Amino acid sequence: MKALSLSLVLLPLPLWAATPEDRIEEVLNQHILPGFEALAAQTEALKTTAAETCDPQAPALRDAWAAAFDAWLGVSHLRFGPTERDERAFALAYWPDTKGFTPRTLGSLIDAQDPAAETQEAFSHVSIAARGFYAMELLLFDDAFAGEEIAGYRCTLVQAVARDIDANADAILADWQGGFADDLRAPGDGAYRDTNEVMQELYGALTTGLQFTSDTRLGRPLGTFDRPRPTRAEAYRSERSQRHVVLSLTALRDLALHLAADDAEVAEEMAAAFDPAIQRAQELNDPTFAGVADPMARIRIEGLQTEIDAIRTAVAADLGPALGVTSGFNALDGD
Amino acid sequence: MATRRGFLSGLLAAGLTPLPGWADAGAPAFLSAAQMPDGSYMLVGLDGAGAIRFRQPLPERGHAAAAHPLRPEAVAFARRPGRFALVIDCAGGALKATLDAPEGRHFYGHGAFSPDGALLFTTENDYAAARGVIGVWDVASGYTRIDEFDSGGTGPHEMRLMPDGETLVIANGGIETHPDAGREKLNIPFMKPNLAYAGLDGRLAEVVELPPALNKNSIRHLALSGDGLVGFAMQWQGDTRDAPAVLGLHRRGSAPRLLQGGDHARLEGYAGSVAMTPDGAQVAISSPRGGLVQVFDTSSGALLREVGMADVCGLACDGGGFLVTSGLGRVGRLGEAGTQQDLRFDNHLVPVG
Repeated sequence: MKALSLSLVLLPLPLWAATPEDRIEEVLNQHILPGFEALAAQTEALKTTAAETCDPQAPALRDAWAAAFDAWLGVSHLRFGPTERDERAFALAYWPDTKGFTPRTLGSLIDAQDPAAETQEAFSHVSIAARGFYAMELLLFDDAFAGEEIAGYRCTLVQAVARDIDANADAILADWQGGFADDLRAPGDGAYRDTNEVMQELYGALTTGLQFTSDTRLGRPLGTFDRPRPTRAEAYRSERSQRHVVLSLTALRDLALHLAADDAEVAEEMAAAFDPAIQRAQELNDPTFAGVADPMARIRIEGLQTEIDAIRTAVAADLGPALGVTSGFNALDGD
Repeated sequence: MATRRGFLSGLLAAGLTPLPGWADAGAPAFLSAAQMPDGSYMLVGLDGAGAIRFRQPLPERGHAAAAHPLRPEAVAFARRPGRFALVIDCAGGALKATLDAPEGRHFYGHGAFSPDGALLFTTENDYAAARGVIGVWDVASGYTRIDEFDSGGTGPHEMRLMPDGETLVIANGGIETHPDAGREKLNIPFMKPNLAYAGLDGRLAEVVELPPALNKNSIRHLALSGDGLVGFAMQWQGDTRDAPAVLGLHRRGSAPRLLQGGDHARLEGYAGSVAMTPDGAQVAISSPRGGLVQVFDTSSGALLREVGMADVCGLACDGGGFLVTSGLGRVGRLGEAGTQQDLRFDNHLVPVG
């Protein structure tokens, strides 16, 4: 027994010593809470701007919408707890819209001059398809909604969407600050039973976010070689498709590095996996992914998808084990 | 003079030779898809004790299988969005035929035979239209595609032949996917799962939906009693902490009942498989996420047993009890240590014979 205790004592201590609690604290303080604070601040600015000018062409309005949308991309992968209450995340960002619900629902609101757009309460009961950043993108950038004859109601609608976006962002932040962050810090009686469950949640947000960017943000417009689908690119009307890939990867890199905490080796592996993908995404020079239909440009977009899938592999190989998180063969399967 | 030989050749001429049946020596009691230590995929035949009777390589990850009602023959399906299915001779494990999903369709991983074994039905995705489809295949001509019909919903997953022999019960999971976006779920806020009953001719007979507040409870897996009680297992697509019951019971013509109890939170809103005793007295679900199997009494709805097992998913009735498999290679009767195989069992354990 003596020999055993001695050998335990002599085990070299790792240079890093992040406990799961440390990692959770770091992710909360440096990733989650600042991200939702920024979102609430930017959506507040959007609401204020929309109240002053609702002209879809107005640079001030477009800039405020873009800044708030950027802030959403910083947290859009954190799909658990406060974002999932009352369908807030879907109400902020319903995409992909495979059935065209967003233009159809906006169209019927406009045709009916629906008074639901006049108050925040009433608008919060409108279909999520007609709310949030993507609905506002159509109102600001789609020719179908650009007509002068609908300017009056469109203004009402733009302001309603902006108010609703801000209300949802505020509600999410309030929930995080009002107890949900503490549920992550001190699991037990709240939403999580132990730190491992919290770690699973954060790790799952990272892997799901990577999958969404690879499969949906890139996979949907790529379609197949014979049938590329440029008009399935995310937010192509506002030429934000490429930007969203860069922003989402940047946000996911930030989460990965905070999860790695002071585990320098894992942090290095994560940076080494993310950086070439982010650089490639930045250098695509194809804001709308129109290039999916061009064989040469397409290769570069496919290459980006391959790099993101390599990040997924690196995350599973290096970060997962460091966090003590394993994906069961059947457990994360979705069948 | 009627000799035995003459009698036999007469049978041969009439095509009445008794074919090898499931009772033939060597036939397994269960089938499961699996991943081998080298990463390759197999369909394995297991006997009642969990020993492996055959292995048949699969080109990609498998999911479930459908057993022919008469011949020792089964169809192993690719995991969604796979496009292949393999017809396996279960007496020896040999590959007899392959099925390719038609253009614009992919398999969901489950299927069922008609009672005479003449037709195979497969759950499929017409993904351009996001429409659930049941493919119809003619067995005698070597599994040729002869027809298809609407599944009555989106994303049909498991489908079973009802004990009446003329109705299919279909779990329309409600989730829209498109192979361009891998396994990404595209319609969560607007999904609408249902349990549909259709004749073998595709005529819809009954469609059962849960209340609108449960629209994110994807109905995916099915189990049947001998008298037509249907157990359906669900996968909650909302926040895990809000997860409602993930097990339901339905009998034609009545309202569905939902069952939950015990350490419900540990299921994480996810039931991977469901099995029911032939007498319909007990129904069990497995949750690979929570590593938990729950057994309920179907008449009272009460929880009878809870058994933990890491990455458990495969679940089948075995005599009066349940047999379980796990992604870590365990196989055994529920609650017993069982045996360890050097492979990972996939989601479903399919009884045959």
